[in-house]
Amino acid sequence: MLAESLKLALRTIRRNPMRSFLTVLGIVIGVAAVIALVTIGNGTTARVTADIAKLGSNMLFVRPGQFGPGRASTTAKSFNDRDVAAIRDQVNGLRAVAPMAQSSATVIFGGESRSTGVVGTTSGYLSALDWSLSSGRAFLETEERGGRAACIIGETVRTKLFGATDPLGRALRVGNVSCEVIGTLAKKGQSGMGTDQDDTVLMPLRTVQRRITGSSDIGTILVSAQDGVATSKVQGDIERLMRERRGIVASKTDDFSVNDMTQMLETMAGTTQLLTGLLGAVAAVSLLVGGIGIMNIMLVSVTERTREIGIRLAIGALESQVLAQFLVESVVLSLFGGAVGILLGLALAYGATTALSVPFVVSPSIVVIAFAFSALIGVIFGYVPARRAAHLDPIEALRHE
Amino acid sequence: MTTPEIAFKHVSKRYGSGETEVRALADVDLSIDRGAFVAIMGPSGSGKSTAMNIVGCLDRPSDGEYFFEGIATSTLSRTQLTLLRRHKLGFVFQGFNLLPRTSAVENVELPLVYRGLEAGDRRQRALAALARVGLEGRAGHTPSELSGGQQQRVAIARAIVTDPAVLLADEPTGNLDTRTSLEIMQLMTTLNRVQGITVIMVTHEPDIAAFADRIIRFVDGRIESDRLKSDGALETMA
Ligand SMILES: Nc1ncnc2c1ncn2[C@@H]1O[C@H](COP(=O)(O)OP(=O)(O)OP(=O)(O)O)[C@@H](O)[C@H]1O
Ligand SMILES: [Mg+2]
Repeated sequence: MLAESLKLALRTIRRNPMRSFLTVLGIVIGVAAVIALVTIGNGTTARVTADIAKLGSNMLFVRPGQFGPGRASTTAKSFNDRDVAAIRDQVNGLRAVAPMAQSSATVIFGGESRSTGVVGTTSGYLSALDWSLSSGRAFLETEERGGRAACIIGETVRTKLFGATDPLGRALRVGNVSCEVIGTLAKKGQSGMGTDQDDTVLMPLRTVQRRITGSSDIGTILVSAQDGVATSKVQGDIERLMRERRGIVASKTDDFSVNDMTQMLETMAGTTQLLTGLLGAVAAVSLLVGGIGIMNIMLVSVTERTREIGIRLAIGALESQVLAQFLVESVVLSLFGGAVGILLGLALAYGATTALSVPFVVSPSIVVIAFAFSALIGVIFGYVPARRAAHLDPIEALRHE
Repeated sequence: MTTPEIAFKHVSKRYGSGETEVRALADVDLSIDRGAFVAIMGPSGSGKSTAMNIVGCLDRPSDGEYFFEGIATSTLSRTQLTLLRRHKLGFVFQGFNLLPRTSAVENVELPLVYRGLEAGDRRQRALAALARVGLEGRAGHTPSELSGGQQQRVAIARAIVTDPAVLLADEPTGNLDTRTSLEIMQLMTTLNRVQGITVIMVTHEPDIAAFADRIIRFVDGRIESDRLKSDGALETMA
């Protein structure tokens, strides 16, 4: 009986391929969106997890303002040199402390130019990130103090601007500043969020503050704890110190944040979650529309086939058998939409993960869930038309033209 | 005396109400024994199809009682009526009523599908039924590829594939030429004589009715005359 209903359903769909496809378009879009989202999300998570493992979990980011899901960063006072010095001198168990003033600028060498990220920092930055040089040297203390126009360039900047030329000792134009290339960074690859970490130029903090950003603000203080020291303890120490330095009374909340790598990523994930939520809503709406589309076409189908239903009822089909037949038909339709949606979603996710160069991780469970959910939509939205068919009066149905 | 296979006791059927009320059947008493071959005649609108629908358990009387094999059908649920149709009754509808775009053999298989027969078994019985109506070579044809007479034979094959006790045919030769009509009637006669199936058919044509053993005439929802052919009274009626 089920096999019979299946055969019939497939035949009906084959007879109206265009109509069937248009009917399930909503489901295709909804399922594709869900599959693509989840697959891209999985890839990103896999990538980020790998990155954390690579970086180690002993990094802390001290930033002005509060971040987090649902919380906008408030306009809080930036840090200054003395804050950096205080952390370095008063917090125990640190391996490195590095201030960061971030900006972006056009860098020019010879005939080539590109827009890149500029980080004003100290040599501590390299030890905090465990980032080695492939050639040249780090900043000297005199260069840091004097704000000399020297820079260390990332691998991407080197290959794009210098090509085969040895950049050491060359003058690179960074915004309005001409600075000497004193070192090149080892290749690091892409970050978990898909940005190219090698597309960067490092300069002494003072140089960036004076000649590029024009302010003495420090956006982030990067802290790395020594091995074997609990980051939570360091985190607590820094928080206490900064509350004291910024004069925050006990009743007030922090106007800065100290996060480790995981918390940082969670913050970023918070934004992604918002996006996921939005796209999820789009998917839900299109699944709903898809379901209504199926209901509509099934109602049309029941009307068109009233006579056929009358014949079936008259020659001995039970109401439940007619109900089952039409339910199977709507489920087959929605499963067809689900299958197309899954393929489309995987194709989209493949394209996106390749573009973001994160791994393409297909979760079998989401594929199964999407498929099962499509079937559920077929049952829910197919029920009303199927019931209408089953409850037809055989005589009236037979008389129907 | 044995219970008649089919019995109407004061059966009435009304459609609509008040001003627009139509009495399709008015207080009809009728009984038909197993193995009978009955023709129902009468002018258009006299209640023939209404009576057939009630006999076929597709419709219920407004008043009175319809007994099938002694069972009062008013006591049966919709599902029980369906099962009764499925196991005891075969229909040949006015105007064939075959499923379009579906092959002859699949049309004939349909009642067996709902009986839950296995596909191979079904096919075999459907082909046998088609052979009984002389359509061996046309099993794969869809109704649109068959002539009117062939379609009517498919409809008969579908009605008899379940080996019903009663075969109901509403104007089985309505759209057919004389020769084809005679062939169909020979087929019905064989089913009645050889297989012992009770045959009840509606017809407008006296020479078709002449194949039956008994002719019931309806006028205005009442039985006007009910005669056995051996009475020799047929001539006076026609
Ligand atoms: N569903 C219905 N609603 C209202 N009136 C109906 C309905 N079905 C039948 N009738 C009326 O009942 C009466 C008997 O109809 P029926 O179909 O039994 O006639 P018939 O004898 O089969 O006629 P014909 O020879 O034209 O087929 C007619 O007056 C018809 O208009
Ligand atoms: Mg009629």
